[in-house]
Amino acid sequence: MGLIRTIFMTELVKGLKLVFTQMFKPYCTLQYPHVKHEIPDGYRGVMSLLRYEDGTERCVGCSLCEAACPSNCIKVVSDEVPGQPLVRYAKEYYLDISRCVFCGFCTEACPVDALAMTKVYELSVYDRAELMFDKEKLYALGEQFLEDGKAFLMAHHMDDGTLYPGEGLGDNRYHFPPVDESSGGHRPAVVGLTKEDTAVEEYAQP
Amino acid sequence: MEIGTLILVTLFQIAVVLGVVLLSVAYMTYAERKVLSFMQDRLGPMEVGPYGLLQPIADGLKLFFKEDIVPAGANKIIFALAPILCLIPALIGFAVVPYNGEYSLLGQSLGVITDLNVGLLYIFAFASVGAYGVILAGWASNSKYSLLGGLRSAAQVISYELALGLSIVGVLLLSESLSLKQITVAQDGGFWHWNVWLQPVAFVTYVIASVAETNRLPFDMPEAESELVAGFFTEYSGMRFAFFFLAEYANMILVSCLASVLFLGGYEAPFEFLNFLPGFVWLAIKTWALLFFFIWIRGTFPRVRFDQLMAFGWKVLIPVTLANILVTSIGVYIYNN
Repeated sequence: MGLIRTIFMTELVKGLKLVFTQMFKPYCTLQYPHVKHEIPDGYRGVMSLLRYEDGTERCVGCSLCEAACPSNCIKVVSDEVPGQPLVRYAKEYYLDISRCVFCGFCTEACPVDALAMTKVYELSVYDRAELMFDKEKLYALGEQFLEDGKAFLMAHHMDDGTLYPGEGLGDNRYHFPPVDESSGGHRPAVVGLTKEDTAVEEYAQP
Repeated sequence: MEIGTLILVTLFQIAVVLGVVLLSVAYMTYAERKVLSFMQDRLGPMEVGPYGLLQPIADGLKLFFKEDIVPAGANKIIFALAPILCLIPALIGFAVVPYNGEYSLLGQSLGVITDLNVGLLYIFAFASVGAYGVILAGWASNSKYSLLGGLRSAAQVISYELALGLSIVGVLLLSESLSLKQITVAQDGGFWHWNVWLQPVAFVTYVIASVAETNRLPFDMPEAESELVAGFFTEYSGMRFAFFFLAEYANMILVSCLASVLFLGGYEAPFEFLNFLPGFVWLAIKTWALLFFFIWIRGTFPRVRFDQLMAFGWKVLIPVTLANILVTSIGVYIYNN
């Protein structure tokens, strides 16, 4: 047997047979532009700015996203809403997609669920200037991919209960404690605690 | 008028055969990519045309429009001559291959472009000229990679040419003629009269030697893509590169065609009841079966190292072919008495 193997190199035939049978097994190629992957809900695609149900812009111009961004690609210029001196909004919002690494830190930082990430990953353009997204573009993306953005926030437990009002769905975000009117406008130190709870017992002599 | 129709008919045959061969060469590139892909669980070209069928045309157009770069210090004349020297001998071998049984057109009997009585010698003579093209390409490029690749390729080609030539001597002894048409006629009689049953060792060594001759895996050291960049045609671009590519595939088709004619009965159908298909279809089927085998081998085996390659060619193949000649001569002598 060993002599036949040496002379005729029968292991070569084994290899040939394996490769031949492999020809008839199914292929594993995804033919991309015609067939695309199913994108899961938590996918970090391109950013978008969301609005409330009545159309008001959510973004208050706090620049927390600008601070959180590791690539320094967000620029926020905020301003007072004309006619409402205590409410602010973002007058200009620039997001440079060509520098973005799609990490999602900005969406985590946003306290009002204004930023969400959609499922869009096909961002090729012919003119690089189109990759500097301004406020209009981001709000337009938010309007076009509203359901995707909301699903993203729900999937990442970043929602604050205002995404699907009336459906009683999740409320996973930390809320700033409400202002206590009885204390003259000062906030309590910890949510839920009153003066009686924080009283200390009198020291008693043994 | 005789000479007029003769010229016309010969030109017609040349045009048809050359057209078929060049089309085959182009679609051989496509077939290789597709078959290799299926063996590797993927799809190959699918975008250009339905199922990628127009891919060779796209490739040809692309190579046609590429910039033609000649390296500084290269010998311009020889640099331009080398691809031609590689391609023409591969195509010229088809002049003596009988592609069909006798049929007549305009009063002339056809079936082979020209039936030289030294047909086989003619083909091997031109294959040796092909080796010149390789060496000249490597040398004229004025580049280290090309020179080394060219020398390796030349060494490989001339070593295995010996094995190739010796392995068909057995067939010559059996059919007593160098003319390819006579060899085909001597295998008349269907499947069991083919030379492959009488000369199995010669068939195997012929196939191995032809894989080495055409620089295909597992013997493709000279154009080892990851080691020598592209071997002897590193410095070529555009249409000249296309010529080398065409030359390699045309050589492959020529040796497969020869194997079909010498060992597998040429244009004859294997069984009587399959005679409704014309002769050239059978030759095409046999040639493409062997070409599939070439691609199959490419998909299976790792590359042979150069010293192993040379040792195999000189120390194994040549003694085996010589032994085959000895046994065949004794067999023919005994059979004739």
